[in-house]
Amino acid sequence: MHASENFRLIKFMKIKLFGGLRQKAGTAELNGSGGTVREVLQEISAENDGLSEALFVDGAEDLRPHIRIMVNGIDSELMAGLETAVSGDDQLAIFPPIAGG
Amino acid sequence: MQGWAGKILDIDLSDNSIETVPLDMEMARQFLGGRGLGARLLWDLVGPEVEPLSPENVLIFSTGPITASSSQTSNRFNVSTKSPLTDTILHSNSGGWWGMQFKRTGYDALIVRGKAETPVMIEITADGVQIKDAQHLWGKSVFETTEALGQDRNKRNVMCIGPAGENMVRIAAIMNDKERALARGGGGAVMGSKNLKAIVVEGSEKNRPEDQDQFKFMLYETRKLLKASPLTSQALPEFGTAVVMNVVNEIGALPTRNFQQSQFEGADKISGEAITDEILVKNQACWACPITCTRISKTSSGKEGEGPEFESAWAFGAQCGIDNLEAITEANFLCNDLGIDTISMGNTIGCAMELSECGYIESDLGFGQADKLLGLIHDTAYRQGIGDDLAEGSYRMAEKYNAPELSMTVKKLEMPAYDPRGMQGQGLVYATSNRGACHETGNMLGPEVLALPRLIDRFATQGKAGIVSVHQDSAAVIDSLVFCKFANMAVSVEFFARTLSAVTGETFTEEDLMQAGERIWTLERLYNLREGFTREDDTLPERLLNNPVQEGPSEGFTANLAPMIKEYYAFRAWDENGIPRPHKLRELGLDFAIEEAYD
Repeated sequence: MHASENFRLIKFMKIKLFGGLRQKAGTAELNGSGGTVREVLQEISAENDGLSEALFVDGAEDLRPHIRIMVNGIDSELMAGLETAVSGDDQLAIFPPIAGG
Repeated sequence: MQGWAGKILDIDLSDNSIETVPLDMEMARQFLGGRGLGARLLWDLVGPEVEPLSPENVLIFSTGPITASSSQTSNRFNVSTKSPLTDTILHSNSGGWWGMQFKRTGYDALIVRGKAETPVMIEITADGVQIKDAQHLWGKSVFETTEALGQDRNKRNVMCIGPAGENMVRIAAIMNDKERALARGGGGAVMGSKNLKAIVVEGSEKNRPEDQDQFKFMLYETRKLLKASPLTSQALPEFGTAVVMNVVNEIGALPTRNFQQSQFEGADKISGEAITDEILVKNQACWACPITCTRISKTSSGKEGEGPEFESAWAFGAQCGIDNLEAITEANFLCNDLGIDTISMGNTIGCAMELSECGYIESDLGFGQADKLLGLIHDTAYRQGIGDDLAEGSYRMAEKYNAPELSMTVKKLEMPAYDPRGMQGQGLVYATSNRGACHETGNMLGPEVLALPRLIDRFATQGKAGIVSVHQDSAAVIDSLVFCKFANMAVSVEFFARTLSAVTGETFTEEDLMQAGERIWTLERLYNLREGFTREDDTLPERLLNNPVQEGPSEGFTANLAPMIKEYYAFRAWDENGIPRPHKLRELGLDFAIEEAYD
């Protein structure tokens, strides 16, 4: 057996942050390991209280109003919301409350 | 005054006559002010026989009943005229201070007719109304003119045209308070055609609300709502309007390289986030506005000014394939100084870039050439070289070079920063907008992207007609009172009705206002029908109807307009040709227009 077969290649998901979330996270891009949208958000919030507070109301149950989560450019609300399944092939974009035009 | 001042100033530059006429109060209640009042007056004053750049066209500057009341965002005003770019009815509105100051002179509206023999300006102060010689100002830029005429933010306010308006560039803006714009549709060219360089106002009258207690309560409640909303208290102040650049790009609805693609690889470099990080000096507010969305920016060459807003950043950015934020910002500054609509300018340059790359124009112009922007804008304002083509707007330019299909316009007005293939409802807004492709007359960014008030499927077509119609009607209300549409992100039309009631002492309900909005929208429609427009004009460029998006989240979609148009006409009680039915006109109190509508 070849040594490399002992390891499964994990593909990390690209997570893009916008607006004030960049300041909270200190970066415009993060990686996540998939599951559901909720799990990804919990994962990136776990080590960043500022990001957690910006995204969630009271812990990790409900998103704050006006937060938009796009999965490959499609609003997750039009899929299964926070329970939308995502994997390393997907790309998440997280927008804080934004307005303009 | 309590709400309406009750007077209209009527000036004819051909014979220097200056008259004050009473405002028809029944008309005011029906059409409110601003855009609605402008449309109603224009219906009577400018018929289909009038050429837009002739002395017979008029300019109607109008405020609304809440203007200058100190209600939040009560600074805006409107101009109505027949557009030299689209030949449709034109309304365009602007913020800043001028609208508030004009209302304080004691008038609801100013009608300017005729044409002066030599360049003049109008000055309205406590000393009265004067038509003054302005030959010494002709040729000066907007910034030079504004300074020369003594702009003083809260006391004396200047509205003027720049060289673009003087040279009757069809995409010329009217500028107020130096860098605010009545931008769309070529109002600046109409002002230039009249040899009218500037209008300066100094007012002292107050718009004192009739019901002071109720008005103070509405001020308090409105302040709370604007502060509580993260949209108006955080997003707009922190990042300005261009913060939506990335989300529109993310969903695949950011028109790129003259709408050839719907995503721009350089979007983040020209976004609100980039503006804040790289060039923002401070944010600024219009009069009586707590939102402070205006950007004051400075480039590394030391140039400082207002902008860029989202639409301007897109027009000189993604539309032209340019991701150089400083070049975009300086293009914005130059448009302000020369008096040009940034959306139409950037859109038209993008069209010229494609015409050149496709060989229709003999030029080395191409997408991504940031270094060409300033020269092209300058040449447009002065109608030099290729600038003389650009000055005609995208459609006339593309038609001249036998490629009208490359013009991204509706009714010859250049389209703003949303690709209808990724936002189907926005396509219906563009196609049916009475002034041509316009996002301000019913923007679907809220429901189709930002979930305001709730999210709808942006690719769906069924059911969009009703939502678009309601948005169009409420936009007409807001443009007529006149409030800022950003206030509406936190404050409902029902609140506006209560504020209007407090200011005027008369009772207005949300239903009253929404019916007024429908009345205004329908009268604008009738105006265009009288001009000879038909259902064939309620369309989109062929590219958007027939060419699917090639990649990204909107891949495979075209603008599926036909079923939405059919549903839209039915929803509005218009016939299959888009003509409002007589019973609808009677219901809206538009009986006076029935005969001409069916002529």
